[in-house]
Amino acid sequence: MSMISRRQGAPGFLLVVPLLAIMALGFNLPLVMMLGKSLFNEAGITFEYFKQLVEVPAYLRVLGNTFQIALITSLCCVALGYPLAYWLRGLPARWQFIALAAVVIPFWVSILVRTYAWIVVLGNAGIVNRVLLGLGWVDSPVAFLYNELGVVIGTINVLLPFLVLPLFASMLKIDQQLIRAAETLGASSWKAFWRVFFPLSLPALAAGAILVFILTLGFLITPAILGGGRVPMIANMLDLLVNQQPDWELASVISTVLLAATLVLFVMYLRLTAQKDET
Amino acid sequence: MKRRNMFNAAWAVMVLSAGGMSGAVYAQSASAPAEIRIMENGGTSGDSIEQGYIKPFSARTGIKVTRESPTGVGKLQAMVQSGKITATLVELSATDTATANALGLIEPLDWEAINPDPIYPEARQPNAFGWQYSSTLMAWKKGSKAPKTWADFWNVKDFPGKRALPDYPASVLPLALLADGVAPEDLYPLDIDRAFASLEKIKGSVAVWWKAGAQPAQLLEDQEVTYAVAWSGRVVGNPKIDYTYNQGLLQLTYFVVPKGADPAAKAAAMGLLHEASKLDNQVAATRVIPYTGASPGIEKLLPAEVANNFPTTDANKRVQVQPDPRWSAENATMLQRRWQAFKLGL
Repeated sequence: MSMISRRQGAPGFLLVVPLLAIMALGFNLPLVMMLGKSLFNEAGITFEYFKQLVEVPAYLRVLGNTFQIALITSLCCVALGYPLAYWLRGLPARWQFIALAAVVIPFWVSILVRTYAWIVVLGNAGIVNRVLLGLGWVDSPVAFLYNELGVVIGTINVLLPFLVLPLFASMLKIDQQLIRAAETLGASSWKAFWRVFFPLSLPALAAGAILVFILTLGFLITPAILGGGRVPMIANMLDLLVNQQPDWELASVISTVLLAATLVLFVMYLRLTAQKDET
Repeated sequence: MKRRNMFNAAWAVMVLSAGGMSGAVYAQSASAPAEIRIMENGGTSGDSIEQGYIKPFSARTGIKVTRESPTGVGKLQAMVQSGKITATLVELSATDTATANALGLIEPLDWEAINPDPIYPEARQPNAFGWQYSSTLMAWKKGSKAPKTWADFWNVKDFPGKRALPDYPASVLPLALLADGVAPEDLYPLDIDRAFASLEKIKGSVAVWWKAGAQPAQLLEDQEVTYAVAWSGRVVGNPKIDYTYNQGLLQLTYFVVPKGADPAAKAAAMGLLHEASKLDNQVAATRVIPYTGASPGIEKLLPAEVANNFPTTDANKRVQVQPDPRWSAENATMLQRRWQAFKLGL
């Protein structure tokens, strides 16, 4: 079976060659040259720029801060997304369609618009604070925005579909008979979920979480607008180093570190999704 | 022979389009180009270039001017290092101009060809043309207690409320020193340690360090903050916001020519700069955005209540402080590192 499909794939590969060539020459090569700036200068190979990264506490702190926010965002997306996907799975087909549309539609709205919309909703003069103040639940507006909370809320809003959609798809593939079998054998419905369903959905969940983590690492607009300049993330630092400073060598060092971290995570992601397909 | 010409022409078109627009623009290097391209900040400011300077320039010369935005010293560096100069004029802040100058990214202007009308001396640099003044000033929501000095602005006890400050150390540090009692003429070189000590006093009240010029006005209107440092053009004319030019930082934005620009295009661009030195054209530009050009005496052409809004009237220019962009550029890396560390609480 696989032999056949491989043979059929051969002429297809020739058709892909032009695209691959364009990608390699137009995208990958400049990327590698840019990354090269972190290690090479006129004098040859140098570790000076990496030394700068290690020696300046602010850069490391921003990197750490970025990973921390990515972790928080992933965990929140898991906590929100798993029940959502599970609930979607149990819906009748028509409602499933409507609910999925509700998950996907924000995807089509510009990220800039969605981010600014949070100002209208969560700002001091926003809907939520006006309701809270009106009900007398708080004395002064709650600071939802211009801090880490604001950044995390905005990021979750953008990235939740990246976790929910693949997770939902993989949940649909889990054989309902397995859960029935477990229940027939005397497992409570909670136990059947926890011992049978959850382990089967775990690879897709972990893969989704890693995807969200990787995407959060590169967020620029959301921290710029909802962080109020108080939540520095690495993409904003790169913007500064590339466009204003301009210190492309250091920007290249930071990009290299970021790319390496992302690649490690991506390998984990591939392992998890491969495992999922085998089941 | 004919066919070969056609082939050559087709080849040339391919090469030119591959090389960006520069080729098409400078195809006729010998004579005046049909088009020049400039890189600027975009938005309303870009429209003011169009209305004030490009229109009369194109009417006089027949040369089309295409604008692209945004601008930045990073883009300029990319152009110069790659040898593909896609914009003959590039708009840069004063600090960025000094940075570009130190990095050797820009070339001297031909002031004889510009042949400017009278302009302020700081606008006339060997390789930069100052075209637009703005002020970084204090603004507050109408009805709040009005501060008069940066010392007032820093005084969170008598002027309570959250603050929004720029996320730009080169702008904020001089303000911090003025607030701490340093005289304007003694500002530079900036006493960095003293500036950050002064900033620590206000840090707890800063809700937002803003990056985009639209933010302070929006933050004031949304009651996120009571007082903000803002760019003058973003608050002038806003019915909900009051401001003062007193102790504002008077800043000048420049046009520069990237090193290696096509000589014919550069020659044409000098004509555009000439238009930018004319007071009449500058008045037309102020109808689009309340920033002013580099010619003295704009108040003589405008009614007082309008002229008072502008940063370069004699009365307003006198009460403001002029920063030293060269010092900021020379110390940019150190400033950024200290700034990030300060914001992170390191």
